[in-house]
Amino acid sequence: MTEGLLSIRGVTKEFGAVRALDDVSVEIRRGDIVGLVGSNGAGKTTLLRLMCGLYRPSIGEVMFHRDGETLQIDKLRDVVGVVPESTGLYHRLTAWENIRYSSRLHGIPDDVAWDRTQRFARALALDGDLMRHTRGFSRGMRQKTALLRALVHGPEILLLDEPTAGLDVTSARLVRSLVQKLRDEGGTVIYSTHNLFEAEKICDRILIMHNGEIRFDGTPSELMASTESTTIEDAYILLTQDSAREDQNLEREGWFARTWRRFLTGSRPPTVEGGDDDE
Amino acid sequence: MMSDESRRSVRGLRTVRTIAGKELLDFIRDWRTLLAVVLVPLLMFPAIFVLLPLFMSSELEERQALELDVEIQTAVDAESISNLTDAMSEELFTYEIVALDSGLELNDSYLDNDRVREGSKDLILKLEFEENGSIWSFYILFDSTKERSSEARSRILGILFDWEDGLVEQRITDADLSPAEVLDPLRWGGGNSNGDVATKGEQAGFAFSLFIPMIVALWTASSAIQPAIDMTAGERERGTMEALLCSPASRFELLLGKWLAVTIIAAVSVGLQLLGLMFALSFLISADIFQIPEVSPAAILLFLLAVLVFAIMVVAIVIALAVRSRSVKEAGSILAPLLLMFIVPAIFAEFINLEGIETYWFAIPVVNVLLAMRELLQDDIELAHVLVWTISSLIYAAGATWYASRQFLREDLVESIA
Repeated sequence: MTEGLLSIRGVTKEFGAVRALDDVSVEIRRGDIVGLVGSNGAGKTTLLRLMCGLYRPSIGEVMFHRDGETLQIDKLRDVVGVVPESTGLYHRLTAWENIRYSSRLHGIPDDVAWDRTQRFARALALDGDLMRHTRGFSRGMRQKTALLRALVHGPEILLLDEPTAGLDVTSARLVRSLVQKLRDEGGTVIYSTHNLFEAEKICDRILIMHNGEIRFDGTPSELMASTESTTIEDAYILLTQDSAREDQNLEREGWFARTWRRFLTGSRPPTVEGGDDDE
Repeated sequence: MMSDESRRSVRGLRTVRTIAGKELLDFIRDWRTLLAVVLVPLLMFPAIFVLLPLFMSSELEERQALELDVEIQTAVDAESISNLTDAMSEELFTYEIVALDSGLELNDSYLDNDRVREGSKDLILKLEFEENGSIWSFYILFDSTKERSSEARSRILGILFDWEDGLVEQRITDADLSPAEVLDPLRWGGGNSNGDVATKGEQAGFAFSLFIPMIVALWTASSAIQPAIDMTAGERERGTMEALLCSPASRFELLLGKWLAVTIIAAVSVGLQLLGLMFALSFLISADIFQIPEVSPAAILLFLLAVLVFAIMVVAIVIALAVRSRSVKEAGSILAPLLLMFIVPAIFAEFINLEGIETYWFAIPVVNVLLAMRELLQDDIELAHVLVWTISSLIYAAGATWYASRQFLREDLVESIA
């Protein structure tokens, strides 16, 4: 049986009145490539941020297992490598300086970091651009640099938030092949994506999220079998047919900000000119 | 062997240094901020001391070269005021003498107002002579909002007073008296010495204490704002904060790293400004006007300490407020009014009399450091004052740092508008 690596147990996450995650439980095993699939506002990013310790659960716990010990994930930042959706690169620094900054924060000597970076950069066809400022980088180059930065300290789990969003076909393929290479080497990857076919192609396991809940957890073939669907898309639609909530991205406002916004915009929605407005 | 605690401390210090180093590298790569924080403060005082006098002297020359058009209204004949009109010609006046309406008071001049207001005459001088008392009366019509008219008034008053001096001397002589004995019965007997026991250096220290503390305080605050915003709200806006928070650096180490970088930038900026001032005083200004203040090494060290504890507090406050903002614009809106929090006490502190000052003044935030700098520039080290402002400033700095560390624990720090 594969060793358990990360346990998310009964986690609920609330932001004020908004419940972003509702009683979520997931076990991540060493060597898993898990696809986190869901629409905007499903709770994917919130779950990823809980997994890397950026958020603390309102209820429940996120625990990491190592050498028979169970530890809270926010005490173990070294084990996680994260590629956030926005990539988070400093545009006045070169790609290598961005990576080196991260490696130094992890306490990795520069020569070790350079060797690791070179190795992965060759796989991503970025080795010739490491000394360039990231200001002029394309979306794909930025994403690859962020991936190198996340890998430089040799994390045990890699969390990727929409890693291929906005990438051209070639770059997306390179990123996918790197993930597959990591799987072959026994790495664990949590891969958040909108793209069902991509998830089906590279993930051993798919988690379908909707309205802050896990609607499915299993292999792609189990997904289709359990929903009696012929395609993964049909299965997804079937599991998420209730309407997606729309309040996830609501900005959390204080009393003054809310009152001021209502004063400026009015509390009622606009009406179509000439339409019924007899209230 | 190193204990776990020592190892953690060493690693923490290395993390803080790494963060500060990256922030400084990022900062110096942006030539615009570099210009604002390095070049501007360095050149500010030399520019003020060189360009301002040049500009003022050129303005003065321009004013002095103006040919002004004056009307003299008087009932006396031109010969009686020839001394006056000759002096006016020398002072670049063109004048016209017209008859004074003797039926009106001198200041009853509403008909002439418009001509001065419209600029057809720069000035109208009315002169009247009372035969009985041998007294001249004069009245000047001018427009204070017009440069030519104001200049004409200034010049004409000078000429009139010289003319008056001549008349006085003439009358004293006519009465067989000595003008020198009558007009100057009490004289300064010290020759060129003005009797001030304060040295030039001490005088310079006193003069500097009236404006240098305010400039240093305001520059510390304003030079900290831009980098603090860039390193906090800017990080959130660009979406780099999330990746940074995923690193093993603790939130407090992040705060300390950024705080250290902003403090270094603010300190370098203020240091360059003072360097520029010293350069201007040493090489650009005559020693007769200003000298470098005579301040003991102890006072200089305490002055630097005052700037440092002030910077610790200011930078912590600025970072704490900036990190709450999700964009540079939002942070700018919050921090721009914050400068008033420093400007108002800074101006207030300039007017407080330092002689016999009560010790509690040295415990009031911002004011305490300003007063300390004023005292130190006058080379006045009072132990009780030093203790009060040092301890109170450190308490305020610790409070501000604690508040900033609370802000860095916020979960919404990862949220970005990127």
